[in-house]
Parts: sequence; structure tokens; C-alpha cells
Amino acid sequence: MRDILRLSITLAVVAIASAALLTGMHNLTDPVIQERQQREYLEALESFFPEIDDYETEEIGDDRFDLIFDQEGEKLGVMATAKTQGYEGTITYNLAVDNNAEIIGIRIISHSETPGIGDVITTDNFQEQFIGKSFEDPIEAGEDVDTVSGATLSTGAMVSSISRTVTAIGENFLDMQRKAFDFEDLEDGIYRGSTEGTYGEMVVEVDFRDGRIEAIEVIEQNETEAYFVDAYPEIPQRIIEEQRLEVDVETGATLSAERIIAAVKDALEGAPEGDGEGGDN
Amino acid sequence: MSAHNPYLEDFSRGIIRENPVFRLLLGMCPVLGVTGYFMNGLGMGLASTAVLIASNVVIAALKNFIPPQVRIPCFIVIIATFVTIIEMVLQAFQPVLYEALGVFVPLIVVNCVILGRAEAFASKRPVLRSLVDGIGVGIGFTLALGILALVREVAGQGTVMGPDPESTIMLFGEGFEPMGLFGQPPGAFIALGLLLGLTNVIFKKLNIK
Repeated sequence: MRDILRLSITLAVVAIASAALLTGMHNLTDPVIQERQQREYLEALESFFPEIDDYETEEIGDDRFDLIFDQEGEKLGVMATAKTQGYEGTITYNLAVDNNAEIIGIRIISHSETPGIGDVITTDNFQEQFIGKSFEDPIEAGEDVDTVSGATLSTGAMVSSISRTVTAIGENFLDMQRKAFDFEDLEDGIYRGSTEGTYGEMVVEVDFRDGRIEAIEVIEQNETEAYFVDAYPEIPQRIIEEQRLEVDVETGATLSAERIIAAVKDALEGAPEGDGEGGDN
Repeated sequence: MSAHNPYLEDFSRGIIRENPVFRLLLGMCPVLGVTGYFMNGLGMGLASTAVLIASNVVIAALKNFIPPQVRIPCFIVIIATFVTIIEMVLQAFQPVLYEALGVFVPLIVVNCVILGRAEAFASKRPVLRSLVDGIGVGIGFTLALGILALVREVAGQGTVMGPDPESTIMLFGEGFEPMGLFGQPPGAFIALGLLLGLTNVIFKKLNIK
């Protein structure tokens, strides 16, 4: 009994001393780190917006948006600080967008992607693909920008996050509206479409009748099950309820949600496979 | 042997006879992981050395206070404390190096060189000898990392003092095509193997055991 007490006390004393020491060190180094990060951020701001004079910070969710103004108070653009889940941890980055919602710069602040593989997201080659893309342009992995094989998760996460961030900036700060996908004039029928997921193809069937999406069924998918249940059937329900594809993808499974939407879009862009009465599968 | 100065013996043993990398093959994780560039290898070696010296001293000082049953958890807490301090200091004052070393800095906690010295040496010997031992082993570790990183950087990148573009020196001019393999993890094994062979030959020639 006395032994156990002695052992516990020793461990506790060591742990407390360690915590105290670390707290002290943290208080010493933290201001330096903060100041350096702030300085680097300001330098980045100046490199993206050379005429910057002032900025105003707005926050939406976890993301921070700085509206950039020049000396006359004219808005120059927006710098976003956004986070996304990479392969091994959170990727934090800045996205600079000008007044036309065109991407003018990307800067990775911190990440823990695999050295030599996932860290391609920090390279100019990868980032330059985004420069000049705007709110109007589709930004889809594999089509409009390349992911990097071997680093699909890291690069794919960046692509969809950047696309989301540009949309958020355009809609919230630059008075833009994403042109809604128009399916008014489609023929009735069953439409089948697919999209490439992280681990394989996702195939959906869309039942379209009388100018309305009646039903959406995912008939093949290779998503991570734990995430997928958050997106399905939630996302199809949202689409059917709102009768548009531009639904909120915040579900806890954003990537799966975006894939379902992409597959539905792919389906409706093609020709119907059946007449909707009985189907032909 | 007994005529030797024990401090000198403690100091030199870690560098030559029991060099943690070339002789004992300890701490291979950072040895293979961060030796793509000389500066990174050197930085990692120095960071580990600082942790090793500090933990050796503290553990030697506390050896009578720590009961043997809980010594390993205590050692690890002490080592982790110093690693975290180093991490904070690097992040504050050496951000480039901090970025380059990445996850290998927190991994110093489980570097077996450090826990090995705590267990095998510092927990049984006086503070001053543990200090000298820490410095010696640290220099040995840094030296090994530095040599390996230098070989890999020259062969794999054709540069020294990289990857910071401001300090990088191109050794062979613009047209040089480096052996990319040496920059990659498998190249670390190959380079390490060659260096181990070389040290074995040298040690045999000089009759050091």
C-alpha cells in the first residue's frame, strides 16, 4: 500500500513538474510564434494584393475571410484562411481571390501530409493549376485540375476544399450566384450517371418525371461506410426537397455528399435509359 | 583501461566505439527519415543532442528519487518534456528547420538512443558523467546524421546546404543530373549500408573494437 502511494506520488510530481515547465516555455515561445505567423500572413497578403491598405475580418464557421481594401477603400479581393482534412491531418491554407472571384494565390500554412508524397500540395506545380480559375469555372478533381497519383487523398481534399472556399467567397462577399443546374427541359426517364470516388466509382440512378427529380438511388459505391451513412440518403432527400443540385453539402461527409451530387449531375447530363415505367435494369 | 580518465572515456565512447548509428544501429527512424539534406540531418542531430543532454542530466539527478517500478514512465515524461520544449523553440526561432523536420521532432521522444542512455547509463551514474556521456553520444549521433545526410544530398540532389534556396550551393553546375534514388527513402538504406561497410573497414584497419 505504501509502495503504491509512493509510486503514484513520484509519477504525479514528475508530471506536474513537466506540465509547469512546459507551460512556462509555452508562454515564452507562443508570442514569438504568433508574431511570426502574423508577419508571414501579412507578407502573403502583400504579395497577393500589392495595393493592400487595410483589411476586415469576417468569420463563417471555422473559416476566416479577410476582405482586402486599398487606400481609397476600394475592395481588392478576399483572402480566406480555410481548413480541410487531408490524408494524415488538418491542412490549413490561404486562398487569395480577386474581385472577379478569380484565384490569384494559394499558400499552405500547415499540413502533416506524407513527406515526399502528399506534400506535393505545397508545390508550385500543383498550386498553379488553380490560378486564374474563378467562381464561374468548375473546379473538379481529375477534370479541371489534376490530382497527383499516389497522393489522391491529399490533392483531392485540396481540390474540393478550394472549390468550396471559392464558392463561399463568391456567394458571401462578392454577390455572386452559382448558376443553377437547369433540368427543366429534360425528358422523363431513368438517368444513370457515375463519378470517380476515392476508392472507386459511384453510380446513381435518378428517376425524373414531369420536370421533377422524383427519386435518387445510389446503386454502387465504394465510400468509407462510416462517412457515407451521413451523406446518404440525406443528400438525395435535400436535392428532391429543394429540386436543385446546389444543396448544402455540410453533413459530416462532405466528400461523399459532393460525389453524390456530381454523379446526379452526370446522370442528368446524359440521356435517359428507360421511360421511368418499370425501368430496364 | 582503468588508467583512462572516465570522463574522456565516457565522452569518446559515444562518438567512436559505441557510435549510436554506425556501431549500435540505434535510432534508425530519424536517421533514415530526415537525412535527405545536410542541414536537416544536422538540425535533427542537434535537436536530439539537446534532448539527450538535458534528459541524461535530469534523470541522473533524480535517480534516487524515482522508484525502479515507475522509472520508464518517468523517463518518458522527462524526455517528452524536453522534446516539447525543443519543438516550441524550433517553431519559434527556426521555423524553416521545424517545417523540414516535421513529425520527426515529436518522434524524438521514442528515439531509442535517448531512452537507451537514460536506462543504461544516466539512471546508474552521477550527474557529471551523465552530462559528458550525453554530449558524447549526442555528438556521435549528430556526426553520423550529418555524414549520411551529406552523402545523400550530394548524390541525390547535387547540392549542399539545401533545401533553402538562399543557402543552396549547386556542386556540379546546372546540367548535372543527380541520382534521385539517394534522395528517396530507399536511398537512405543504401547510403547507410555503404557507410556502415566503410566504418567497419576503417575500424578493422585501426583495430578498434
